[in-house]
Amino acid sequence: MIAVHILWISAAMASGMAALFGVLLFRRWREEAKARKAGHVLAAITRSYLRRVAGQLDNEASPAWTVDQRLAVVSHIRLLLRGGERDRLMQMAELDGLLRATLRKSRSWRAARRVDTIRQLQQFGSEACIARLREIFTSDRVGAVRLEAAFALASIKALPPPRETIRILGMFQRKSTRLDSALLRSSAPHYVDQLNLLLADPLPHAKRALIIDALGWSEDPSVLPTLERASRTDNPELRSAALRAAAKLGHPSAAEWVIGLLSDPVAFVRIQAVNSCAALGLRDAIPDLHRLMEDQDIWVRLRSEQALDVLEYEWPSDGLKGLVA
Amino acid sequence: MNVSDLQTVATNVVLYLALACFLVVAARNVISVFQLIVAAWVFATRIRPGKNSVELWQRYGDLALPVSVIAPAFNEELSIVNSVKALLALEYPHHEVIVVNDGSKDDTLGTLIRDFDMEACNRTQIATLQKTAILGTWRSRRYPNLLVIDKENGRKADAANAGIGFARTPLVCVIDADSIIESDGLLRAAEPFMHDNGQLMAVGGTIRIANGCEIEGGSIRKIGVAKALVPRFQIVEYLRAFLSCRVANAHTNTLMLISGAFGMFRRDALIEIGGYRHDTVGEDLELVVRIHRHMREQRRKYAIKFVPDVVCWTEAPANLAGLKGQRARWQQGALETLQRHRRMIFNPRYGRIGMIGMPQLILEDVIGPPSEILGYFVVPAAILMGVLEPIMALAFLGLTVLFGTGLSLGSLALEEVQLRRTPTARDLFRIGEAALIENFGFRQVNLLYRLRGIRSFFRSETRWEGVPRAGFGKPDL
Repeated sequence: MIAVHILWISAAMASGMAALFGVLLFRRWREEAKARKAGHVLAAITRSYLRRVAGQLDNEASPAWTVDQRLAVVSHIRLLLRGGERDRLMQMAELDGLLRATLRKSRSWRAARRVDTIRQLQQFGSEACIARLREIFTSDRVGAVRLEAAFALASIKALPPPRETIRILGMFQRKSTRLDSALLRSSAPHYVDQLNLLLADPLPHAKRALIIDALGWSEDPSVLPTLERASRTDNPELRSAALRAAAKLGHPSAAEWVIGLLSDPVAFVRIQAVNSCAALGLRDAIPDLHRLMEDQDIWVRLRSEQALDVLEYEWPSDGLKGLVA
Repeated sequence: MNVSDLQTVATNVVLYLALACFLVVAARNVISVFQLIVAAWVFATRIRPGKNSVELWQRYGDLALPVSVIAPAFNEELSIVNSVKALLALEYPHHEVIVVNDGSKDDTLGTLIRDFDMEACNRTQIATLQKTAILGTWRSRRYPNLLVIDKENGRKADAANAGIGFARTPLVCVIDADSIIESDGLLRAAEPFMHDNGQLMAVGGTIRIANGCEIEGGSIRKIGVAKALVPRFQIVEYLRAFLSCRVANAHTNTLMLISGAFGMFRRDALIEIGGYRHDTVGEDLELVVRIHRHMREQRRKYAIKFVPDVVCWTEAPANLAGLKGQRARWQQGALETLQRHRRMIFNPRYGRIGMIGMPQLILEDVIGPPSEILGYFVVPAAILMGVLEPIMALAFLGLTVLFGTGLSLGSLALEEVQLRRTPTARDLFRIGEAALIENFGFRQVNLLYRLRGIRSFFRSETRWEGVPRAGFGKPDL
């Protein structure tokens, strides 16, 4: 009796999978057959959009073109256009109602589908998209989706102030990741003052270091005194973050304290100082770097060797030198 | 004991053996079905990575941790230049290529020196993990992110260890000499490290068979499916292994293997455990099991993840002769690993790895293959002796052939719905066709090869049997 059951179960399993595979095979075959015809349609849609973007007369447009076909074309040619042309393309897409479909999909019960639409909304980048992205960012029930929305907002420079971002993503309630750091860095050019204000809060050193690090991405030399103060604190994480930020800012006025930290008692601060010297091109640091070639920490020695490579070695081009730095 | 008693004993032995084989095969199938269901769930609910490398680069360009790609090379004079150029051209913000010339007898080193304008340098080795001597290090004047290490001949494990010892980046990606990495494969594999808060030790990715693809300059130019059956059977096997088994194992935190063809690891974790072992032919499996063991013994939180996207293509043996050595080696490697880490088996101290992962390895690699082979003989014998109903033979065939076909087609369906890397419907059909045919002969031959691996294990053979490959660029692989 059991044998019969096993046989039936095996047969049912194999038949079920064979049927599923057959359906998928047929679907693929139909798609390929359609794709051969759809190629002309997609080419026509592409021509139509390019004409409209250039402000030319377009009499090729057809109401038979589906939203999915138009979206596929817009996603493709968006990558080929730049500046004003790209903005106009996204306006045309919105006018054609493509945004409506995307906004509808952004309310799907499936997190994966919502993430897909977040990426499309990011492409459009209009006010309506930003509003929806902010809504997802603040209220989606899945953390990964909120994070995705944060990245979309960051890429279209519409991320809320850092204090809000930190609160919504619960950044200070958990261990930080590189993504947290990236979000704060992307906020920095727009919210230097707010980041400075955050530093006045009673924060653990690790979180304070995140803020100090982000200041380096502000492109604002006025943060240098803050970085210098951080470089003089007792906490090595803060000193290291200040060095990273100074290297990113690339301002020569940081040279003195950056070189000074080559003698820091903590190895990973010395390593960061060496890296910063290389990034800032501080040839005045060369004697200290030679001294660090005898450092007790192998990583300090290795990074010094690399930094000296950058500062002393005759690279065929600045491009290559930059790559090494 | 008279003849009748002997007959009774023999009959009972055959009966119990048949039932045991039946149970083992059924248990393997139950696990496989569970894995397929879990994998389907993971695929259905996963947040897909960026569709293309441009999107990936935009998202992760500033976040990606620097990676050293370690490529061991032995007698690769003819292909090394293209391979290295392809590695240098990978889309990744900061990656260094470390080629380890493992005592090649041909002019691999000379070719590298000439073609990449290399000069001798005195690169410091951070950790000495290899057993053989380093003969020199070379750096390129044209490519600052290329380093060549020349060393005495060891094996792949030794060469990879030498490369790990010279790597300075937080991540290392160890590949095989014949691996072809997808242009955005490094970015895809490094993605989990960007979300990581310091616990992630290693990431594996899906590997596909390159036989039948058009390869140019060390990169895949056009994806294809081989006409020959043996590579096609292996496509089915790889899909089953990667898309079903490893996806499910990673989801249940019991991933035991990251393929030697492509694996991304935290460098300090590899150095901490001493790199690859030199005394096993299954160093990739052993390494992952050792990471599990080390972290659990130290009671440290850790993770090992798997990226279902295709990150790498590899050349599979084009015929049964090549397959024989490869499968025997895999089998022997699995047994060596199980023997070395036998303390972990059913040991609650090692959590899921001890209670689920290791027993699953035993079922798959120790008792599974002999049981199925034995079953093909003892089940009919039991029927001939009249102790089993003939329907049991059909049921056994159902469990092996029908179930096997169903599982293969299920994995293919997953691939088609989620990854869609099979180029055309015709190619998909040809893989489906292989999924049906493989159960009538190939599956059984494969089991025999694995028995050969079991024999090598018991003989403690240490000989590395190279897998003959036809080479890329040849027609109809």
